[in-house]
Amino acid sequence: MKFQIEDVTVYFPYDNIYPEQYAYMVELKRALDAKGHCLLEMPTGTGKTIALLSLITSYALSKPSNPIKFIYCTRTVHEMEKTLSELKLLHNYQLQHLGPAAKILALGLSSRKNLCINPTVVSAENRDSVDAACRKLTASWVRELAAENPRIPTCSFFENYEKSASEAILPPGVYTLQDLRAYGKLKGWCPYFLARHMVQLANVVVYSYQYLLDPKVAGIISKEMQRESVVVFDEAHNIDNVCIEALSVSVRMQTLEGATRNINRMSQEIDRFKATDAGRLRAEYNRLVEGLALRGDLPASDAWLANPALPNDILKEAVPGNIRRAEHFLSVLRRLVQYIRGRLQTENVEKEGPVAFVASVNTQAGIDQKMLRFCYDRLHSLMLTLEISDTDEFLHIQTICDFATLVGTYTRGFSIIIEPFDERMPHIPDPVLQLCCHDASLAIKPVFERFQSVVITSGTLSPIDLYPRLLNFNPVVSRSFTMSLTRDCICPMVLTRGSDQLPVSTKYDLRSDPGVEKNYGKLLLEMVSVVPDGIVCFFVSYSYMDGIVNSWHETGLLKEIMQHKLVFIETQDVVETTLALDNYRKACDCGRGAVFFSVARGKVAEGIDFDRHYGRLVIMFGVPFQYTLSRILLARLEYLRDTFQIKEGDFLTFDALRQAAQCVGRVIRSKADYGMMIFADKRYSRHDKRSKLPGWILSHLRDAHLNLSTDMAAHIAREFLRKMAQPYDKTGVMGKKTLLSEADLEKMGNSNLGEMF
Amino acid sequence: MADKQQQVVVKRARHKSSVKDPGTPGVLKMTKDRFTFMANDPSSPVKLNVEFRTIKGHKFTKDGTKQALLNLTQDQGGNYIFEFENFPDRNVCKDFVASAIALSGEAGRTVPEKSAVPIQDEQLSAAEMERRIKLLQEDSDLQKLHKQFVIGGILSEAEFWATRKKLLEQNYSRRPKQRVALKNDMWSTKPLADGQSNRVTFNLTPEIILQIFAEKPAVRQAYLNFVPNKMTEKEFWTKYSRAEYLHSTKNVIAAAAEAAEDEELAVFLKQDDMLVNEARKKIRQVDPTLDMEADEGDDYMHLPIQDHGLPRNDNKDVLDSQYEPYRRSFSQHLNQHAAVVLQGRVIDVELGDTRSVAEALARTKHAELAKDASDVYLDKERLERISRMTEIEDLQAPRDPAVAPLSIKDPRDYFDSQQANAFSTLGDTVSGAKQLKCSVSTREAYCSLKECISEIKFQGLTEPTINSEVAFKVLNGLAQNISSNKYHLGRNPNESILDSLPKITREELLLHWSSIQELLKHFWSSYPITTKYLLTKATKLKDAMSQIYPKLQEIKESVQSDLRHQVSLLVQPMLQSSVFMDQAFCCRL
Repeated sequence: MKFQIEDVTVYFPYDNIYPEQYAYMVELKRALDAKGHCLLEMPTGTGKTIALLSLITSYALSKPSNPIKFIYCTRTVHEMEKTLSELKLLHNYQLQHLGPAAKILALGLSSRKNLCINPTVVSAENRDSVDAACRKLTASWVRELAAENPRIPTCSFFENYEKSASEAILPPGVYTLQDLRAYGKLKGWCPYFLARHMVQLANVVVYSYQYLLDPKVAGIISKEMQRESVVVFDEAHNIDNVCIEALSVSVRMQTLEGATRNINRMSQEIDRFKATDAGRLRAEYNRLVEGLALRGDLPASDAWLANPALPNDILKEAVPGNIRRAEHFLSVLRRLVQYIRGRLQTENVEKEGPVAFVASVNTQAGIDQKMLRFCYDRLHSLMLTLEISDTDEFLHIQTICDFATLVGTYTRGFSIIIEPFDERMPHIPDPVLQLCCHDASLAIKPVFERFQSVVITSGTLSPIDLYPRLLNFNPVVSRSFTMSLTRDCICPMVLTRGSDQLPVSTKYDLRSDPGVEKNYGKLLLEMVSVVPDGIVCFFVSYSYMDGIVNSWHETGLLKEIMQHKLVFIETQDVVETTLALDNYRKACDCGRGAVFFSVARGKVAEGIDFDRHYGRLVIMFGVPFQYTLSRILLARLEYLRDTFQIKEGDFLTFDALRQAAQCVGRVIRSKADYGMMIFADKRYSRHDKRSKLPGWILSHLRDAHLNLSTDMAAHIAREFLRKMAQPYDKTGVMGKKTLLSEADLEKMGNSNLGEMF
Repeated sequence: MADKQQQVVVKRARHKSSVKDPGTPGVLKMTKDRFTFMANDPSSPVKLNVEFRTIKGHKFTKDGTKQALLNLTQDQGGNYIFEFENFPDRNVCKDFVASAIALSGEAGRTVPEKSAVPIQDEQLSAAEMERRIKLLQEDSDLQKLHKQFVIGGILSEAEFWATRKKLLEQNYSRRPKQRVALKNDMWSTKPLADGQSNRVTFNLTPEIILQIFAEKPAVRQAYLNFVPNKMTEKEFWTKYSRAEYLHSTKNVIAAAAEAAEDEELAVFLKQDDMLVNEARKKIRQVDPTLDMEADEGDDYMHLPIQDHGLPRNDNKDVLDSQYEPYRRSFSQHLNQHAAVVLQGRVIDVELGDTRSVAEALARTKHAELAKDASDVYLDKERLERISRMTEIEDLQAPRDPAVAPLSIKDPRDYFDSQQANAFSTLGDTVSGAKQLKCSVSTREAYCSLKECISEIKFQGLTEPTINSEVAFKVLNGLAQNISSNKYHLGRNPNESILDSLPKITREELLLHWSSIQELLKHFWSSYPITTKYLLTKATKLKDAMSQIYPKLQEIKESVQSDLRHQVSLLVQPMLQSSVFMDQAFCCRL
């Protein structure tokens, strides 16, 4: 269907539209008109993504003279694939109705590991080794050598790509990662470098958060994006955590050992160069005197991760004289590593600010703040000079320099915590030094400054006034939409008691109580016999999940559960988890039915949808609080209290409940879908906890469902499933329209719709 | 098929008059239509020359029992017993006999029919013919009907099958035999300790062995490598059990120590490399919207040497890396188990022979992995699935409903079971009144029949065409009543009328039921009678019906007096129907 929102003709690839989607588009359009940022919360299962995509692309189409670029950030690669396939659907529709005028170029961007098609490179274990393997074939010095000596291997895809030079472009269309690989294979071009190049020209770019938020990555990928861009952060409820992690570093004993090895290797290289090619080192020195930390025109294949500090905070001045010479710099690094090693020997937990830390480095190791600040760029320059291509071996020293640069750059919003052992296992020494960032606004600040519109959206952003404070920005539009339901297709319940009427909870004192474990098991057993197809269970942590599943196995409960459904479980090994998920879907598809055990805050909870028959019921076992004894968390809470006057307890509850809401929100995808949610912990019945849940869940949480035991929950589940099986009218009942057609929209006009919600 | 091509089978065998009889040694020769037996001793009186046409069935002893026997039963009740020297010989003959009986039985039926109704005869393809034969073989009731009407010349072959098109089509797609799924039961290695000594016992059945092989390819590989060259089967499983026991104690260090001493044991204790490799291959075929492994490529924050976020929340590994290969998590096992159960029984081998099971599994696995990940077809399918998944269903007009066709093999069974469901829900309210209910329903049916008759009579007078709806109703009422009776009586052994009847009578009754049904169906399908052909058909049907009538009377009179009432209740609707058909026919004329 197509319709007008003020002066923009919106192309929407379906015959009908939900009213809240329409309202969402109206708000979004206003934010774009105002060239400002906005914050929009809309429940899951209302087609946020397609609404976003279709409004922004239509907006761009309506203003051909001043095209805006659309940068869509997802948290994970599989969400990227999902978004791109929705965009494909939309693009096909627009092509049908507008013809060639609607042609756009849209592509996803990921790392070499996901885009490389060179079989020798891509078979490497992880990202860093793939990157390094690629560099070994494509670095400028390697190619120079190969030009002389044909026996040195290069990558044919990269060579072909370089040869075609300006001809190497993607024709308009929507490219998922798989499409990029296929196109690369067809043409014999390297898809990674092709995509990196095309990002500058594309109308729509879909990539991971970190390509914008992590200064190391953003520095090389997103440097040249134009200001007239719309940046969307989808599923952004965790954006503060991402921002914080982008600027945090931790150093362990292994890091230090590795760093020492790296320093030794570099000093050997320096000796070798001194003997063979002293001119090169001298040239580097001269360049550094001129104040260039880096050669300006690095070929793309040499580019390394950029400076970890934010672009505005990087000093634009000459590298200090005492680290210009390679051997001097190495000795500075050696002293730094030695100093950190000394700090790690501590017996007690230590916590200090960056200023104090820098001062003590200065007095004890003789390294001043400016030297620390330049560490990262200086290392980068040195490694290029030394023509080191196996960068994956040098991650350790990179981490150290990362740390040094950050600690030398920022004076507030950070703290340094040294823990000699893990709190829960005091007898095992495992010292760790962590530089943790507390201020989420630091990392996202350049994004707000650089781009004209930034959209932050998710299914759970409540309380919505907290986010502008955490991220320190002023949205022009900030709204939370409710869901208009045709029928009560979600059924949240709070289960406080087990089948024996005793309370259930994952509170510390009840957690390992065998009675609670048994009650949880009985609950699941009841449910697997009642609910068809897929059931998802979330636990509060991996260790808790392992413990409880083992105890269910020993008591035979698991065996009974398996009589009804197959059981799959998330493990810390992503490959295995992915295969388990794939099998889980197959089991749901073929009607066998399955249960998936997963962990709140885990990878599955973050990004996998359990919509339709893939999830008819979610059980949240316990309240997913963060580990409250963690020093990092405590430091962050302290910072929040001092800066934003947010109480610790409030923040912890807010954080736990947004995770819980996120977990259960995965079951609904559209209004035709339906699902139940069980919050199995007695603490959910308390008002202060419960009220932090997003409104669309609360509005369906009836008072009668607030204090249930297992048998009552099973009864309600049966009733609910029976009710959902009845036919219903999709367009809504009694004047309350929940599905709008093109004609409806015209009839209503634009004027009064905005006020409907 | 290959067996059928083999025209003659000659085997040494002994002919026996009974199982106990030592038998006469001789040569058994089988051809397509007959078998002959010649005793070695020419003076022996035993000499057989029998046509397969007269053979009704065959029985045989199980492989591995004491004697390799084959017993051919004759139509008239006699039988021929042969003992073979070994089982393979017997099996060859057995297969031959089976196909010969089927062939001769069919030949006997199809030939007369073709000559009887030449007008309607269609040229049947071999495949079509085969399908019909197969259906007849599978369903004995159908076979009886076929025999009675088609061979009896009342219906033509084409007419007979025309009403069963569905049945034919259904079989057309040659669905594979339904396979039994694996049990979703983890073989928990809960050892049986007897409490007094230190002995620990494990139980292994062929089913469990299959499961172990499917879930743990390394064990399967080890079995193929070690048994029987390096160790006996028993030793192998003892070792395996030992390894499992070590795992169940969760003592990683002890496991590592034992493995260091015994390299074969180490195979079981170490992590399964084959699984890891398999996983790596499979991950490339995973739906990209699920692929979390790809995320690692973009994750610049959780670098392997840094760890923020969750891992701090977990138990630190206390042990040195040398024990790493011996640690096996329960969750891994759980996932692997569920994956195997989901895949189902991939092999079709008798479970008894461990080696062949292992080999077959290894073969299928190999073939599976050989399928390239970049399979174009798979890719396309995956893409389609993703695009289907991304659509929001209720914003769009629905696509074709994704329904699987119902597979009803035996419609009567299905029908009966539906009846049972209907009755069981009824039964909740009217419990205990079952017997009563049955007779009531007969009466009800009779009433409705009468109503129908009068209606048809009326309509028949005013309008020459009989309302097909009415006909359908009648037929339905009749059919329902009959089968409900049958079901009902069949399931209540104590109070069943049918069961109290002698077996022959009961079978005869059931046969008449079904033949009346068949006749009625054809009768009504020939309405309105517009052509001469239809007229002759209807006449024929009517005649056939009238032949059944006296038979029913006979049955009624043959049973004992105390049962007579109930039998007549049973028979009444049938009689009614035949009378009714007569009437309808007369009306038409």
